[in-house]
Amino acid sequence: MSNTVNEWISNNWLGITVPLIVFLAFIIVSIWIRRRLYHYLEKVFSQTKWEGGNIFIATTRNPFFHWCLILGGFTAIQVSPLSPYFKSLFGRLLGSIFILSLTWTVIILIERILHLYLKRFKALPSATIIVIINGLKIAFIVVGILIMLDLWGISTTPLMLMFTILLLIAIFAFRDQILDIFSGIEIARTNVVRTNDYVRLESGEEGYVSKITWNTIHIKTPDEKILVIPNSKFIRTTVTILGKPLKQASQPFRFFTRLYIKELTGLKARNLSELVTILKDVDDSVVYYHTHNFIEEYQYLTPQPANDFALWVYDALGDQVLGEKLANVDTFEFSTIGALRERLVDVINEELSIKHDGRQAPQGREFHFIKSLSVILPTYYVAHDLREFVEILRMVSLDTLYFHIFEARLRLHKGVNDFSIWLNDCLGEKELADRIAVLDPYTYTLEGLRSMIIQLVEKHMEREHAVG
Amino acid sequence: MQLDKEIYHHSKAKLQDYVPLVGRGTIEALNALAGRLSGKVIQNINSTYTGGGVAEILTRMTPLLNQLGVDARWTTIKGDDRFFSVTKKFHNALHGKIESISSEDFSLFLEVSRKNIEELQFNGDIIFVHDPQPVVLISKRHEIGEKWLWRCHIDVSNPDEKVWEFIQNYVVQYDATVFSAPNFTRRLPNRQFLIHPSIDPLSDKNRELPQEIIDSVLNKYGLDKEKPMIIQISRFDYLKDPLGVIDAFEMVRKNIPCQLVLAGGTATDDPESDKVLEEAKERASGNPDIHILLIPPESDIEINALQRSATIIMQKSIKEGFGLTVTEALWKGKPVVASAVGGIQLQIKNRFTGLLCHSIDGAAYALRLLLSNPEYARWLGKNGQEHVRQNFLITRHLKDYLMLFISLYHPQDVIYL
Repeated sequence: MSNTVNEWISNNWLGITVPLIVFLAFIIVSIWIRRRLYHYLEKVFSQTKWEGGNIFIATTRNPFFHWCLILGGFTAIQVSPLSPYFKSLFGRLLGSIFILSLTWTVIILIERILHLYLKRFKALPSATIIVIINGLKIAFIVVGILIMLDLWGISTTPLMLMFTILLLIAIFAFRDQILDIFSGIEIARTNVVRTNDYVRLESGEEGYVSKITWNTIHIKTPDEKILVIPNSKFIRTTVTILGKPLKQASQPFRFFTRLYIKELTGLKARNLSELVTILKDVDDSVVYYHTHNFIEEYQYLTPQPANDFALWVYDALGDQVLGEKLANVDTFEFSTIGALRERLVDVINEELSIKHDGRQAPQGREFHFIKSLSVILPTYYVAHDLREFVEILRMVSLDTLYFHIFEARLRLHKGVNDFSIWLNDCLGEKELADRIAVLDPYTYTLEGLRSMIIQLVEKHMEREHAVG
Repeated sequence: MQLDKEIYHHSKAKLQDYVPLVGRGTIEALNALAGRLSGKVIQNINSTYTGGGVAEILTRMTPLLNQLGVDARWTTIKGDDRFFSVTKKFHNALHGKIESISSEDFSLFLEVSRKNIEELQFNGDIIFVHDPQPVVLISKRHEIGEKWLWRCHIDVSNPDEKVWEFIQNYVVQYDATVFSAPNFTRRLPNRQFLIHPSIDPLSDKNRELPQEIIDSVLNKYGLDKEKPMIIQISRFDYLKDPLGVIDAFEMVRKNIPCQLVLAGGTATDDPESDKVLEEAKERASGNPDIHILLIPPESDIEINALQRSATIIMQKSIKEGFGLTVTEALWKGKPVVASAVGGIQLQIKNRFTGLLCHSIDGAAYALRLLLSNPEYARWLGKNGQEHVRQNFLITRHLKDYLMLFISLYHPQDVIYL
């Protein structure tokens, strides 16, 4: 047996030694080349300060040596005395191992480098990153498989065709999503918008950016609706960024609206005595109606500082002096309807003590006591900070403004308007709260009042921004 | 006697069509209120589907309430000519006119009402009865319960006491009553709401018109487009004082070139109206600047066009109900000169939304003031239009009705929903 082996070796020593030497030579050369090459690359990456350099080196250093070994093995087999069949078989096997290793290395390399870059796009959601990386992985695996099949002599043309068709179908089917993904990357790259930015779209809709996903942007509007906008649409529309996040209130401000209907009491006065007698006893709702009616019905006009009592005394009784005295009762001075009523009664009584009943109103011009019946409804609008507050204030109806300024202060016995209470208690903006609280709302039209409050809030925000 | 089918829908304007006129907030508020009436059926009951102000209001309001998601229905009572001749007498008597009403008339009224009670299907959670004709239906209340409302569209401040007492026996049984103006009421033990009438800004009488239509109407009646035009649109009736209008115009025309248009119809049930028309024509004869136009009924677009081409619109009534013609005039953005009577005073705050007058001299003075001060006239017109937008459009009327229905379930003065 040993003779047979010795004989075989002595007959084939050259056939064994040469491939072995070739293989060893490849190992030695590979080690040398790898050292030189990677030393050079380290130098280049160090000079260029490319952060991906380290990743590239760490990922490819070992596989590079493996590829050299595979090449050495392949060359050794080619110079060996093996039959062409085995040379071809081993060549394909080594080729396949090489392709597998190369594909795997490229995939790892791309994944690490993409992670490095995509993470910088803070606005880009992790789902988008995963989608992009997995897409590329699949593409490289497909390419690797095709090359391997080609290596084993299997025709890849039909497969290539099939893959191409499938790819085109997939692109066509998911064109919007693909567009959204690329738009998402662009949004993240340019950093044009971030979560919690307050934006206004070309369409007029506005709100806070609540979420940015791989294909959509979510905007929370002041009326608590969520607008979901595809990234591709968002990138094509004109967007105004009104501001970055502000201090959040401890409790949000819910806007309410107030509607009213008039209820007749059936009571009417023909002269001052009857007026004052009835005025003393009627519900607060009646006094409230007759001191606020003008604001609601004539909200578009320069306000008349007059209550209905003053107008009636002036117009129907022709008593201009008392009319002026009643008009001069400043509703803003009073924090309760009871106190306001007392003042009105005192003014009329003072006049009665001098003039007694005075004139009678002509028939049909009697003073009818009417009651204001309020229905208070919540709106969809909720403010969490000053910017939302001011933007909502621009949008709400005048009924809403009226409710929070007039009704809350006097009729609901809060003593001060709702806005000031919230600004002070929930936002800690005492100075702004005080500025609004001291505004005499009775000297503005409702639109004028709205503008005034908006101005005060905006000025305050500008000042805070400058300081901050 | 047969029951009329209920009308649920009417092909009129959509609620969204009002947004450009009243703002989105108003429509949102209506929707919010309507949501609170979910599941409730509102059954309107009156005497006719066509003709008259009540039918016109219900024709417009019912479909709009339906659009808001409120199940509003409309039913009419039935009666023969004899019944309606009695109700006409009642109507006049409640207005203060002296009418001869016999005990047979009352018996007939009650008999027909009883038949209606037997045959009508009461399917509303809120039964909304309009005007005196169906007032007796309240007798059904003890059987079916529910909420009952009586809407009085007429002025009952100075009625024939006998008729009022008869009607009042039924009125007091309702949960609440609704009147159009404070002056129209009587003191009642039940709740009384004040809901002013309204105009529909999208109706032919009030909608915007193309200039070509306005011009064609002016051409049709031979009116001078270049000359300032004072116009009064009213039926020919002494109570509308057309002769007073001519006198005031004559005073003004001495110094300011202008033309006067008195346009209107004659009332078929008023024998005096032809006489008034003749007198007006006679007073105007020989004056080419006075145009007396007899306009047929259903000429809403023509009336609209005339109002929109006017420089000043007048309503010099001696007595007036609510005066919706004034509302229509104000809506056109024109300065209005009107008498300080009836509901006109609710619409015109003197010197702010128009000018009120108490005499022919006062009217002439107001006309001169406006013709000589076009800027002031424009300001008044703009204010007047805004006043109507805020207070006298159909959307406000809808809001009032919705709140009225809601308030039946909430007795307090401040209702949180």
